[in-house]
Amino acid sequence: MNDSRFSLDEFETLFGGKFASPEELQREYESFLVIVEQMDQAPVPELSAREKADIFRRAWQAPSYERPGIWAWLALLRRPAVTFALGMILGGLLMLVYVGDQSITPAAKAAEPQFAVEHTPYARTYTGKVLQELYPQVENPKVVVEKKQESSPPQRVLYGTLDEGEIYVVWNL
Amino acid sequence: MKDRHDSIPDTALVEAARRGDRDAAARLYHRHIDRVHRICYRIVLDRTQVADCVQEVWFKVFRSLGQFECEESFAAWLNCVAANTAIDCYRKWRRRGRHIDIDEVPVESLPAEEPDDGQELDDALTRQRIEKALKEITVNQRTAFVLRYLEGMTPAEIAAALGCREGTVRTHIRRCLVALRAKLAVESNQQGFGP
Repeated sequence: MNDSRFSLDEFETLFGGKFASPEELQREYESFLVIVEQMDQAPVPELSAREKADIFRRAWQAPSYERPGIWAWLALLRRPAVTFALGMILGGLLMLVYVGDQSITPAAKAAEPQFAVEHTPYARTYTGKVLQELYPQVENPKVVVEKKQESSPPQRVLYGTLDEGEIYVVWNL
Repeated sequence: MKDRHDSIPDTALVEAARRGDRDAAARLYHRHIDRVHRICYRIVLDRTQVADCVQEVWFKVFRSLGQFECEESFAAWLNCVAANTAIDCYRKWRRRGRHIDIDEVPVESLPAEEPDDGQELDDALTRQRIEKALKEITVNQRTAFVLRYLEGMTPAEIAAALGCREGTVRTHIRRCLVALRAKLAVESNQQGFGP
């Protein structure tokens, strides 16, 4: 090992201010230097020539430098944090779709009036989808509830047409 | 005799390998394989895992040659890939629960070419002692130490490789040194080794 890698200056930077005297600093530095040298000289078992050749053959077999984009994306997707984030986003989107379906659709449905009521001093006129469902054979049905006088009972009359407006219908209910 | 290919700079070999030149890739590989293996071994610290780890490094290297900027040092870039891949391999291996403490390896599982003379026995024992001490510190501390003192990278390069600040690298190194000294001292006392 090159001693300049673990110089006294670097040691002082690492452990600066922890030693009472320059002698103690020097002594500690030397004891750590022994450790670093031991590590540096520790033998590393070597790969055999056959292992090296096999590793090269397998690693070079499918070099994908021509299509780094695909591999980069695949490698990115294999990262747990990215997968988790994508899962969260997908879950959020599904939740939005579900909640949207629950909240927006009834609202949209509610926005479509089932019937409309028109008030006048002695009469109320009902029109809308409910009446069309109740009297499907009558075109543009409307029910008028009116009183002839303040004290008289209400009278219900269905108005509409048949045969595309050819016949006018007035039906006391 | 000095091989005439040794004078070809890494960047030229990288360029050729990018074009699909297998010989250039092989030249590059053989030039750096021992260093990559050394880095991986000192981080993974397991003979049975290191070959897979080294293969993963070279697979990544060949796959991403297109992303390598020729202005930077290929060796430094390779060190970063090797260190990060080795950290990933070590963590995956630990998560899978296949970690076996060196003391727990049964005698019959030791390779047949075990040392048969005094020097080799000493080497094996020293390696075992150092590996045991290294295994007991965190992989980040170990990596910072290996890259700084055993591979000669600067703290700035290590910080860039590990994606942390230089101050963090120094902290890793300081803690690693203190822990190693303490553990090796204990080991020496137990086994009768001198410092």
